[in-house]
Amino acid sequence: MATRLAPRRWFRTVAALAMASCLALAGCGGDSDSEDGITTITFWDDNGGPARTPVWEHIIAEFERENPTIRVEYVGVPIAQAQQKYDTAIAGGGLPDVGGVSTAMLANLAARQALEPVDERIANSSLDGVLSEQVLESVRATVPDDKLYLVPLSTNMGVFWYRTDWFASAGIEPPTSWDEFFTSIERLTEAGQNRYGYTIRGGAGSIAQLLEVLYGQSGIEEVFDDDGDATVNDPRNVEALERITALYGKFTPEADVTNDYVKMVAQFDGGNIGIMQHNLGSYTDHAETLGADKVAAMTVPPAEDGNRTVTSHPVTGLGVFAEGDKKDAAFAFAEFAAGKEMNRYWSEQTGVLPANTDVGDLGELTHIAEATRVLNDPGTELVQLPYYLPEFNAITKTEAEPKFQQVLLGELSEKDFLDEMAGKLTDAQAAYTERTGS
Amino acid sequence: MSTATPTRPTAPPGPARPRPARPNRAVRVGRWQIYVPLALYLLFTLVPFYWMVVFAVRPRGSTSLLPWPISTENFETVWNGLGFGVFFANSLKVGLASLVATTVVALAGGYALARYSFRGRTLFLVAMLCTQFIPGAMMLIPLFEVFRTLDLVNSLWSLVVAETVFQLPLSLILLSGFIRNVPVELEEAAWVDGCSRLRGFLVVVLPMLRPGLVAVGSFAFINSWNNFLFALMFVSEQDKYTIPVGLAFTLGEFSVDFGALAAGGVVAAVPVVLVFAIIQRYLVQGLSAGAVKG
Repeated sequence: MATRLAPRRWFRTVAALAMASCLALAGCGGDSDSEDGITTITFWDDNGGPARTPVWEHIIAEFERENPTIRVEYVGVPIAQAQQKYDTAIAGGGLPDVGGVSTAMLANLAARQALEPVDERIANSSLDGVLSEQVLESVRATVPDDKLYLVPLSTNMGVFWYRTDWFASAGIEPPTSWDEFFTSIERLTEAGQNRYGYTIRGGAGSIAQLLEVLYGQSGIEEVFDDDGDATVNDPRNVEALERITALYGKFTPEADVTNDYVKMVAQFDGGNIGIMQHNLGSYTDHAETLGADKVAAMTVPPAEDGNRTVTSHPVTGLGVFAEGDKKDAAFAFAEFAAGKEMNRYWSEQTGVLPANTDVGDLGELTHIAEATRVLNDPGTELVQLPYYLPEFNAITKTEAEPKFQQVLLGELSEKDFLDEMAGKLTDAQAAYTERTGS
Repeated sequence: MSTATPTRPTAPPGPARPRPARPNRAVRVGRWQIYVPLALYLLFTLVPFYWMVVFAVRPRGSTSLLPWPISTENFETVWNGLGFGVFFANSLKVGLASLVATTVVALAGGYALARYSFRGRTLFLVAMLCTQFIPGAMMLIPLFEVFRTLDLVNSLWSLVVAETVFQLPLSLILLSGFIRNVPVELEEAAWVDGCSRLRGFLVVVLPMLRPGLVAVGSFAFINSWNNFLFALMFVSEQDKYTIPVGLAFTLGEFSVDFGALAAGGVVAAVPVVLVFAIIQRYLVQGLSAGAVKG
């Protein structure tokens, strides 16, 4: 008898589970489209999460209040998978109407004709003439046809975060030249106390930061010269690299050879480092851990010839996707987000440089105000890193990062390292020029 | 002719001799040899869980290495702020539906493989096995195209179908092994008594497959529960994401919310741990039976 009942029980369980799942899942299909004159657009946030999602929710709420006929459907995408999500949607369909895009992924998206150029729309909108020229130049430089494929919201800048209390107790002022910079590092170091003046990013993400200190010291303004040869191995850059690597192990922790972002910040916020190179984005971490009164940012000092050269950082913005049929509404949302009020809110909340020059002073966030001043200063030269090269990431990450570790460990000379990287960049640039004719 | 058979001298009957000390010592040494590595392994395994629990329950800003005082702040952040309540429900729906679909289809397919002889059966099994070597990421775009054609993109059904498809080969092979171990004579006896093949299967075979069904079902549920890639790629609506996608939201560009990440990890791990706790008896039995005898 029992054996006859058992299968029924199994059947009942299986049937109940199947029924429950079907009912539960049935309500999960659907589409979003116009209804009652309301246009619904889909927006993918390429950096969804607890830090950014509330910011977008506020911007969307404000936008919908001012534009009652447009509804924005927010979809957060984890930043590490944003590129893959876009790639899949390009290949398989299902792109949003508007989405968060940075210049780091722009070349790929533009080459696949996924994005709509917005030059004309910007020229005919309230954004005409108010967006930072430096930022626009960075966006245009990313693609071969010199068009704007995103509405810029913000950019970033490399800075040196330093411990104001360490400088005060050492009786020294924050450096204003490279010589003072290296002297400060030496004076702040007390290796016996596990206090080091500086930390070098030797692990993942090392090369972008390295290029910033090399070009910052050398004052060279272009990554490629007129003949298309990379300037990375210019003797002035080699000399600059030798000054940096000479710090390793003596004025920096030896563990720096594997430093990625997390380890580097952990050392700085843990109270072992006097100066750390990163960008404006890490301010919140430092202020929360060390206290806002103990940390400040200084911009890259000018080179010996007085030129201040800063390398370009990815620009964050909103792209209008070509596949969508609600481009007007999508651009209206992008325009609203890049407008003075929302751009100011965006910069205050995320700690980055606003693309809208009308935003002006950001109150207590003095490091952003100073970085904005430097970025928009006519005396500042922006060294455009060639994000448009498809090989750029492979050259500077996969290939160059382990080599830089060899340099730090004394297994490879600074010159050989830079020669090799320069050779690869030159080849990639030549191939790019041949392909695009530009 | 009589023969004398030599016999071994036997000990005179009497009280049993005490066991020699040597084997006892050997056993004790053996136990240490087992327990010390096991303890080390357990420590190695549990430390990350301890870290996760400590980070999840301690207040924000605390550097305590003990999970005290307990704060629910991180759980509130992930459950209400990040929407883990919705993600949890979605994961549960997808997990249960995948479990049912995988088990039912694998049961039918496994029975066919075990009880019927047909041309190309071995080839079919090898092909099933080969599908296990293809990573899910490679199938992403083809599957996306299929789901778009079926209007399943942005639906939790796409996850159920994809999970079931990827779980089926191994489940089929496992269950066919289990069914093969049930003597066919038992079914034949049921047929003689008037049962149809289906009834014979339900009455005689199915009750004996419980360990196998538990093993297959639990694998289907857990793999589906943990799958991140499909959940992120096939779904583009905030309210339809699952738990693994929610966890990824705690990893920002410039910072990681370790408290929220750990609390999310606890929320994600609890159902899996509970499933294992409840079914581990069947699971071990099922895995060994299917693996060795199949």
